[in-house]
Amino acid sequence: MNFASEKRAIIIAGLGIGMLAALLVLAGNPANMGFCIACFIRDTVGGLGLHRAGAVQYIRPEIIGLLLGSFILSLIRHEHAAKGGSSPLTRFVLGFFVMIGCLMFLGCPFRMILRLAGGDWNALFGLAGFAAGIGIGVIFLRRGYSLKRTYALTKLEGAVMPAIQIVLLVLLLAAPAFIFFTKAGGGPGAQHAAVFVSLGAGLLVGALAQYTRLCMVGGIRDFILFHETKLLMGFAAIFVAALLVNVAAGNFHPGFAGQPVAHTDGLWNFLGMWLAGLGCVLLGGCPLRQLIMAGEGNTDSVITVLGLACGAAFAHNFALAASGAGPSDNGKVGVMVGIIVVLIIAAVNTFRSQKA
Amino acid sequence: MYYIATFYSHFGAIRFKKEASDGIMAPCLMPVPRRLSSSCGTCVRFEGPADFTFTQDDSGEVEQIVRETDTGYMCIYTTQE
Repeated sequence: MNFASEKRAIIIAGLGIGMLAALLVLAGNPANMGFCIACFIRDTVGGLGLHRAGAVQYIRPEIIGLLLGSFILSLIRHEHAAKGGSSPLTRFVLGFFVMIGCLMFLGCPFRMILRLAGGDWNALFGLAGFAAGIGIGVIFLRRGYSLKRTYALTKLEGAVMPAIQIVLLVLLLAAPAFIFFTKAGGGPGAQHAAVFVSLGAGLLVGALAQYTRLCMVGGIRDFILFHETKLLMGFAAIFVAALLVNVAAGNFHPGFAGQPVAHTDGLWNFLGMWLAGLGCVLLGGCPLRQLIMAGEGNTDSVITVLGLACGAAFAHNFALAASGAGPSDNGKVGVMVGIIVVLIIAAVNTFRSQKA
Repeated sequence: MYYIATFYSHFGAIRFKKEASDGIMAPCLMPVPRRLSSSCGTCVRFEGPADFTFTQDDSGEVEQIVRETDTGYMCIYTTQE
């Protein structure tokens, strides 16, 4: 696949993914939330009872599908390789604070695009913060930031995370008493497409994202680094497809106030996504990309996903997550602490590399 | 002949370009081609003689080096795990 065909593939994949995301809303997912990696990991963590926010508890089949879709396609293409060992605990901490940033904004970079495609202009502040955070991350990359190399691991290591997804799917379908479900009408957790529709969409998007390496962070990062627009085209294609479906379905409501699962505090929308953007550059990919790489056998990405999950549990157990009413005081402190911690991680791992 | 070197980190690519050894001409940074890897890091594409060899990686950052061919890539160096 040369660069031209890579670009064509990523545009086609982006159009398909954007359309699927908008259709999932018509099938029952929350508005402007056909896919949201941060929200869906948060919901899954709630479904497992690791936080007790009753409005957001549901084991999301989309997450299971994304990871398994990547796992299956990487096996077929002989690209599945168990590897890890690149500063795992640092990645856990970065994942944790990326989630804190996302839950301040109320969405991951993927949902940021879907919010824009639904007419939620608050996401423009998020997009500005996201791009600014990536810009700062690129400065560290250029000056030598590195979390050091990965190493080959046993095949079993690469199979554990997909196996966990099967367990989660069984728990969702069997619905034992210890698994939590948001009560009907009780919040976004109660809004979902049928299990196998969500799972199928997840599998398809997971495979497409594995094939094309679609990454919300990579698009802006590569544009700044190389003036390369390939990944950015995927970003744009998702927006265009979701926008067209939303307009056709009457789900396009432009404005700031009254947007679904969103608040109007521009400063904290900006700062939340600034934190997410910087953290993701340091991790080497957005939350979607982390799930895809976890499916390919990268245990560093698995650790990152666990960090995202832990961040989601903390965010709801300690009132860090924002809501439609706006950011909480705890959330503001969480984001500021996150910005400081992530900058320290960036500086230390840049300085260390320069000395080596 | 054109070659592509892939790395474990972006910094590895920058360092390789900056400290290009003998035989490496016109090195440039670019995203890793999809056909070469499912990873989305940074690689260095450079010109070199047909008999270009790379045997010792003092930086520990080089993952592999391939030669571009009419049909794809031919690996000429890969790191030992």
